[in-house]
Amino acid sequence: MDNILKYIEEKNPAHAAKLNSWIKNMDTDYFSESELFFARYKKFIESTGKKLEYGIDCYLKLCAQMVFERIEFIRFGKYANTSLEEVEKSIYLNPEMFEYHMHGLVFAQFLWKEQYARFNFFSKNIGNYLKPQDKYLEIGGGHALYIVEAMKKGGDANSFQLVDISPSSIQLAQGITEGLNILFLLKNIFDFSPTEKFDFITMGEVIEHVENPLSLLIKVRELLTDSGMAYITTPANAPTLDHIYLFNNATEIRDLLNEAGFEIVIEKTQYAEDVSEERAQKLKVALMYAAFVKPKK
Amino acid sequence: MEKTEILASMNKIWRDELDNEAITITESSTANDIEEWDSLSNIQLVVATEKLFKIRFNSAEIAQFKNVGEMIDCIKAKIG
Ligand SMILES: C[S@@+](CC[C@H](N)C(=O)[O-])C[C@H]1O[C@@H](n2cnc3c(N)ncnc32)[C@H](O)[C@@H]1O
Repeated sequence: MDNILKYIEEKNPAHAAKLNSWIKNMDTDYFSESELFFARYKKFIESTGKKLEYGIDCYLKLCAQMVFERIEFIRFGKYANTSLEEVEKSIYLNPEMFEYHMHGLVFAQFLWKEQYARFNFFSKNIGNYLKPQDKYLEIGGGHALYIVEAMKKGGDANSFQLVDISPSSIQLAQGITEGLNILFLLKNIFDFSPTEKFDFITMGEVIEHVENPLSLLIKVRELLTDSGMAYITTPANAPTLDHIYLFNNATEIRDLLNEAGFEIVIEKTQYAEDVSEERAQKLKVALMYAAFVKPKK
Repeated sequence: MEKTEILASMNKIWRDELDNEAITITESSTANDIEEWDSLSNIQLVVATEKLFKIRFNSAEIAQFKNVGEMIDCIKAKIG
């Protein structure tokens, strides 16, 4: 972590100062978890002939891009892209763009406080819900941080599967999880119709990427056993090139989970900046929402 | 429009957006001089300025403003 922060400091001192201001207060868990994950990433990226710095450059590019997305968002009050077609054109069919985006996100998992809050919430609770012999599915697994943690906390589960629509994501996830027993499927989740249901489903930061998040949540409900549990996260007011569906606040997210047939068991929210509630709403600061949910009886 | 007029209008925006009537900006003011002016509120200030003068800054311009004076020059060039 020290080396990563040092490199960022060289390239963008103001950003490094902002990161340091919250990271300096983090506990030992934070440092050991991030070391472990970045070590996995480093091993993978070096196996492709690149260096760790490549990933950090992707991260800095992602941060710069997000400032512009935020300006557009404040100008117009909506996300720049509102259809899958637009996003496909600008990102999905543009592998270079998608690649820096995903590699940048690897670092954001530990460098952004709201991203870490989401992971920490998962890490502290997954052990209580993932039971031996459970079938675990992750949808849109991307950088694989979550499935690695699920295996750490619930290693005696029956099986671990990861479905993702993007070849770059699958490649990244496979590289990062080298040596772990995970079944990867390159597929649009809407086209995934397995014969068996899953006991635990993780779906982090996916519903804002589709045009109709309700139908995706209903799909998750269908894939889940009646006694199953899901971990779902999504942001509000978080403009990025590939976010399509705008949630304006946590209430809209809770309402949609309810509408899809879920009951919220525990939840966590975290603003992306250190500001008062009032200022966060006024400036439309990005809000992270995460919840463990179960099917309504 | 004269620079002083632009500055006066901007001063009003800074006071409104940053909720502080005591703020007085000059051409040499930067975010470092005003506590409430951070990277978050900067976006509000830029967008409110655009609205008032009915102009649009491009991303390179926004990234390069070093102080209020540079914003004024840019505004002046756009509104003629
Ligand atoms: C922002 S990343 C989230 C990564 C990770 N799950 C997390 O929580 O940080 C979104 C991922 O969802 C995948 N994805 C988007 N739409 C999908 C779909 N319809 N079916 C399967 N995966 C999808 C993308 O390829 C990408 O890897």
